[in-house]
Amino acid sequence: MTMTPDPPPRGQVSRRSFLQTMGVSAAAAAVQAQAERADAAQPSSAPTTLSGPGPIEITLNVNGSDRRLTIDPATTLMEALRWHAGLTGTKEVCDRAACGTCSVLIDGRLVNSCMMLAYDAQGSRVTTIEGLARPGSLDPIQESFIRHDALQCGYCTPGLILASKALLGANPRPTLDQIKKGLAGNICRCGTYTNVFNAVLDASGQSPLMDSEAPDA
Amino acid sequence: MRDHTPTDMPTRNRPMNRGASLADDASRLDAVAKVTGAAKYARDMYPADCLFVGFVRCPVGSGQLAARDEAAARAVPGVLEVEIERDEGRYHGQPVGHIVAESKTALRRAMRALDARWTPGPCSVEIEQAAGEPPQTQGDIAQLLERAQHVLDATYETPVQTHSPLETHGGMAIHHGDRAELFSSTQGTSAAADGIEDQFGLPRAACEIHCEYVGGGFGSKLNGAGREGAIAARMSAKYRRPVSCFTDRDEDHLDTGNRPSSRARVRIGFQADGTVLGGHIHTWGGVGVARGGGGCAIPSNHYDLGRIQKTSEDVQLNAGAPRPFRAPGWPQGKFAEELMLDEICAACGLDPVEMRLRLERSDDRRDMIRTGARLIGWNQRRPNGSGGAIRRGFGLGTTDWPRFPRQAEAEVIVNRDGSVEVRTGTQDIGTGMRTVAGVLAADRLGCGLERVNVRIGHSSLPPGPGSGGSMTSHNTAPAIIEAALQARNALLDAVGDRLGIPPDELSIQNDHLIHDQEPMMDWAEACAKLPRDAVIGRASSDTPQSQRHVGEGHSQGVQFVDLRVDTQTGIVHVDRIIAIQSCGQVVMRKGAESQIIGGVIQGVSYALFEHKIHDKATGTMVNPNLEWYKILGSADMPRIEPVLWTKGQTGVRSLGEPPTIPTAGAIACAVFNAIGRPVRSLPITPDKVLAALEGGGR
Repeated sequence: MTMTPDPPPRGQVSRRSFLQTMGVSAAAAAVQAQAERADAAQPSSAPTTLSGPGPIEITLNVNGSDRRLTIDPATTLMEALRWHAGLTGTKEVCDRAACGTCSVLIDGRLVNSCMMLAYDAQGSRVTTIEGLARPGSLDPIQESFIRHDALQCGYCTPGLILASKALLGANPRPTLDQIKKGLAGNICRCGTYTNVFNAVLDASGQSPLMDSEAPDA
Repeated sequence: MRDHTPTDMPTRNRPMNRGASLADDASRLDAVAKVTGAAKYARDMYPADCLFVGFVRCPVGSGQLAARDEAAARAVPGVLEVEIERDEGRYHGQPVGHIVAESKTALRRAMRALDARWTPGPCSVEIEQAAGEPPQTQGDIAQLLERAQHVLDATYETPVQTHSPLETHGGMAIHHGDRAELFSSTQGTSAAADGIEDQFGLPRAACEIHCEYVGGGFGSKLNGAGREGAIAARMSAKYRRPVSCFTDRDEDHLDTGNRPSSRARVRIGFQADGTVLGGHIHTWGGVGVARGGGGCAIPSNHYDLGRIQKTSEDVQLNAGAPRPFRAPGWPQGKFAEELMLDEICAACGLDPVEMRLRLERSDDRRDMIRTGARLIGWNQRRPNGSGGAIRRGFGLGTTDWPRFPRQAEAEVIVNRDGSVEVRTGTQDIGTGMRTVAGVLAADRLGCGLERVNVRIGHSSLPPGPGSGGSMTSHNTAPAIIEAALQARNALLDAVGDRLGIPPDELSIQNDHLIHDQEPMMDWAEACAKLPRDAVIGRASSDTPQSQRHVGEGHSQGVQFVDLRVDTQTGIVHVDRIIAIQSCGQVVMRKGAESQIIGGVIQGVSYALFEHKIHDKATGTMVNPNLEWYKILGSADMPRIEPVLWTKGQTGVRSLGEPPTIPTAGAIACAVFNAIGRPVRSLPITPDKVLAALEGGGR
């Protein structure tokens, strides 16, 4: 998934200082967000401050609100969400982008949160499974998953729902083949794919797959 | 959020199953928690001040720990404990010590700082490296083989398959001083309590297991609290802080069980007309460092194969031990048996459906075979190896599962406010057990499902069975049904008393109290007439009252496969699978269909992709992850049509395991039909298909 970090908080940092920052970041693995803001407030020639290896403070915009977190600089977005923000609907399964279970939406795009540093998610809108439902009402894709029993143990479910949401955002009436390809990054071990396909077809106003007629028995 | 549970599943996509169950449209009672991320699994718990335990593991098939730097590991900030307990290993992934740290990051840094250096030793990781010769064929069988017009002499092989539940194995323990709790990812809530008191250093009555949600198990979490839960409990007692111990994905592949590899050497005699006389079947199971567990269920006894001498050997290897895996021994045995039968068919010019109808021991399954043949379009099947570059193939396989009695207890409480509580100490690992319990209680009480709260997954509840052997539903159901009937009778007694109506003139239907065939009041009003807070029904599955609710017979099934093989690339593409399955009275249609679909998918994945691969020189597993350990994904999905077989079905019976048994065998038969040559080794990967086509395959 994306390895290109999104820029730090928009309007607060010039492109030049951002590039400087990221150059240092690549070498030193950590730069304090605070420093960037201070840097941005001043002319771009101001020196960049390094931080780490000790804890750093970051601000993540998750499900519409800013979360101030103190983390180890090497913390991935998945770890920050699970360990520090208490948002454990984002599951940890493979920790190397092979299963899609830690999927979140970053500015509407589907991303494996295990492959992104939490630091790099600053300035973007992060949506986790906890942010999909409105109080008192589920998102239509969540309703469709329930109706079609597109879940068993439930551990892959948040990732599959967000992948389906991203797919429908890009393609409101996907064919079965497009659904299969669109969800190919998400592993379900219990084996619910048939019902997931039906849930996505139904959520996009299409008929679920028809099975054979009843046996004579 | 409960109010918003969508329950109106359209039945139009599975018309043949409509009306097959107590609750056709019921959705899972925990579905909202699962789709919103609110469901907390044990691995999701990171209390403040939590410690993390990780195991130091042997990286080779056998070896000596030659050097390590414990001081450097202890010096990593946040590390509390580094303990090496042994300096030799017998398999990749064997724990030889552990580290306790204040964060997962510190734990990983300490593992690197420990800088363990190993000197590898000799090892065996494949059955063929360590297997003995089959014992001598007994005299009568040897004579039978000599007399037979034909003898099929073939060897069938299956790989090691890892359970790979998405939530890895482990637990999170909290010691409160005078009591303690373990949040366990287990298939046996009651079993996880066994011995945990010793780890916590407290009386058993002061220790509780919680298991609300489990991210899959498939048999590998039938070991109670497991090694991980035990050390979490022990360390929480030592440090008086919460302790989490969960395996990482690679460790889960290495040391949390597997379906063992197998080989089956088959020598079977038959006549030119297809009459099977019998023969000698010897199987080997690659059991790693375990002493047993390598059984391979051939012959299955579904078919009359004449006089069979069956011998077997468990082969010890330098690899992780097996654990029960969804129908232990069966998928590997049925792969060998179904393909063996089709090879006999090919030699005799017999149709595989005709052959099975002849050999099948069960009349029910014979019915299922005829139905399945019609649904899949068996009449389109061409002779083996017909067609051009892309060849179509059909195959079938059979399955059977008995019921294994276990004790289960349940309570059903009807409260004066109309709410209902079902209490039983089983768990829902994705099977739908929570919902099955609720539907059964609501059905017998006569109230709406939305009134029922199901309490499972705590060791303080009345004890329930583990989720293994397909035993949970069918053993828990009689107790829940009996408890619900008792609670219902107590309710009718009390309400009848208040209304001055004899209770036997009252009944409850569709959430209403009925008298003279007319609704008198709704459920909540009726409950409000209770003279006390609640009425309680209690039952155990082993009493004569509960035994009335037990069904007859086995859970049986037949699967048919329609696939294509690309003879230029060797790729097998499964198009469609019909899965006919009986399981007694279906309680919850959606969940039953999901169990069947899931079993079939795991079977397809086993047939085509999954393979735990060890390097033969070092004994190291080379694919301990989810990108090289291949599991079927959405792009590989065939169309799967589950058919709930309702004819003559009584009671609540087994469903978890039987649907995964016949799939790989049916696929192997269909590949044989497509390309005209048998691929006798799972997984059926393109290289093996191409080798078979070139005549050099095994």
